[in-house]
Amino acid sequence: MRRGTFVRWGVPIAAAAVIGAAIGAGPVIAAVSGDPVLPERSAEQLLADAAAATGKEGGIPPMSGTVQQTASLGLPSLPALSQAGASSPLSLLSGSHEVKVWYGAADKLRVAMPTQMNETNLIINGGEAWYWDSATNTATRVSVKAPAAPTHTPAPVPQTPDLTPQQAAERLLAQADEHTTVRVINTAEVAGRPVYQLVLSPKDAGSLVQEVRIALDGETYVPLQVQVFAKGSAEPAFQIGFTQVTFTPPAAENFTFTPPAGAKVEENTLALPEEAGRHAEEHAERAKDVAGEAKVVGDGWTTVAVVPFDLNDVTAQASQEGGEGAALLDSVLASATPVSGPWGSGKLISTKLVTALLTDDGRLLVGAVTPEEITRAAGVK
Amino acid sequence: MSTAESATPSRTTSPATEATTPPAGGTATATAPGPGPRRTPGLVPVTETRGTAERTPREPEPGRAGGPAAPLPRRAGAFWRLLGSELGLTFRRPRNLLMLSVLAIVPIIIGIALSLVSAPDDGIGGVIASVAGNSLMLTFFAFSFLVLLLMPVTVSVVAGDALAGEAGAGTLRYLLAAPAGRTRLLLVKYLNAAIYAYAATAVVALSSLLTGLVLFPAGPLTLLSGTTISMGEGLVRIAVAVGYVGAAMAALAAVALALSAFTEVSIGAIAATMVLVVVCQVLRAIPELDVITPYLLPARFTDFDAVLRAPIDWAALWDGLLAFAAYIALFGSIAWARFSGKDITS
Repeated sequence: MRRGTFVRWGVPIAAAAVIGAAIGAGPVIAAVSGDPVLPERSAEQLLADAAAATGKEGGIPPMSGTVQQTASLGLPSLPALSQAGASSPLSLLSGSHEVKVWYGAADKLRVAMPTQMNETNLIINGGEAWYWDSATNTATRVSVKAPAAPTHTPAPVPQTPDLTPQQAAERLLAQADEHTTVRVINTAEVAGRPVYQLVLSPKDAGSLVQEVRIALDGETYVPLQVQVFAKGSAEPAFQIGFTQVTFTPPAAENFTFTPPAGAKVEENTLALPEEAGRHAEEHAERAKDVAGEAKVVGDGWTTVAVVPFDLNDVTAQASQEGGEGAALLDSVLASATPVSGPWGSGKLISTKLVTALLTDDGRLLVGAVTPEEITRAAGVK
Repeated sequence: MSTAESATPSRTTSPATEATTPPAGGTATATAPGPGPRRTPGLVPVTETRGTAERTPREPEPGRAGGPAAPLPRRAGAFWRLLGSELGLTFRRPRNLLMLSVLAIVPIIIGIALSLVSAPDDGIGGVIASVAGNSLMLTFFAFSFLVLLLMPVTVSVVAGDALAGEAGAGTLRYLLAAPAGRTRLLLVKYLNAAIYAYAATAVVALSSLLTGLVLFPAGPLTLLSGTTISMGEGLVRIAVAVGYVGAAMAALAAVALALSAFTEVSIGAIAATMVLVVVCQVLRAIPELDVITPYLLPARFTDFDAVLRAPIDWAALWDGLLAFAAYIALFGSIAWARFSGKDITS
């Protein structure tokens, strides 16, 4: 009887073990088979190869996949965020989000964000762009004058004709060397593909950033993942990257969109010459105003932006507009700690990655730096 | 089986101890039927209960009486006969039919409500607008409502009652008295519950399809991705969704059956299943627990909306089906481990 009982209960235990193993199989197999090893490359070689691969004719190869974005910035508890709709930009500040990407060519792109019984889509095909939101049953046609710039622009390498990719990489690294240590990891894996990880770590101790890791596909040199690690945490504070990717041309249906019958169709034209010009002027004016008063303290990774900021104005405006913005502002301000020093006094809001200081004399200081660093910046008049 | 063999010798050698230890005697009666003296007193009151009255059509089966004459084909035949009679009982039971008719009525109510609401065309959500625009959409809308609570209730009533109900009514020991084997009985009970789960899903789909065709215009179906597909393809996608939701409910039935093996009070198993479903829904709503959400069974129920994407999101459906298979394997084996070693005392 007793032995029979053991044998019998062994079956569900074995079933649980098998299921657990199946769930954990990915990491286990990876651990057993060892890290994928790509040929070693220096940062300079890697950047040069990447520039050569993505800069050449055709640019980034056609691909499709699932992109996941995860942020755990250690923001003070934000009830507003969990209630905010999934499509709200504020919701990107916490939790994780998934979009599906189909990339056909430089002017063929589809990005879909599936949520439960809803989906939003951005489809760019040639000079035409559609934004479809199933929740409101609205298709918005966005006409762009120039061919729409895809989100994946070729690697930001100076495109001076007399500069070979090698020289460009050299120059870039020389500039970075002042503040940053650069190294390359060739044993990482993203979405099941071996990748090179370019690791940038700030030299300055005042920075909250531990390191930034950019993963480039080992074969195509397409950036597959960006991770930002905060000081003293093993998990990335911010991460965006592919969880699944295939480098095969996606089906053409993905890039064609006809508004379905019964849907609201709206037109939205970007960059009409005169109007845009007028707007741009206005914007430039305002930007100049702000820029005149704004300044930057420090350099490199410990740059702190100082902007004039009137709390009362913003609170009034937010409460007028209502909604999640006001709620967010309230909860952020509630979590701020009052600080004071020789520079004056203010409220300090600190997260894992970003520190903000709101001084009582109407300045807002923001930077990826430690609280000590930001109060020192506040002392710089 | 080993329990029966170990219990039988003690029974023959010392009938006095057997009379004083009911659990051992109970096991022996249940697994090794024979002309023991203990069976008769139990039989008399039980023949008058409704449970046995319902089971009477099954008794005069020729296969049972035939015994070991032609083992293999007869046994297979007996399995299907047992399943057939089990299905007959399930689908003749007024309670189960009532639950199915409730499931059929809800889409009709939703459809009528939507057709009344959607007359003025302002500020209506996308899903409702697409329901009003196409008859097929009502099926998915009804699923997204019912799959959260009402369908799980229906399925767990049948599956949670499967073993505990028999044990509570005192009919389980007589079911086991037939040379059917506990594993086979468990399999029959599970298949019965799974078929009922698919029946419930099909009832919802058919009812909302008919309601939709009556109330809303038929024609090409607009997907969530904004793509339009033909009506025939829309029907195919409904079939895929029915297959997926049915599998989801069958996985829940495995959980309910496992709980049912642990108790003799069927309402206990049913309530426990529902508590699990509700707790999982609550856990899903807490954003901090996003990590565990993919492993919760009810979190997969609503993934049938993958068939409404422009390329069907087969990966999501496949993940869901794998999760259902894992739940069925785990809770099925728990049910088996418990049921095959259980002392049937009532």
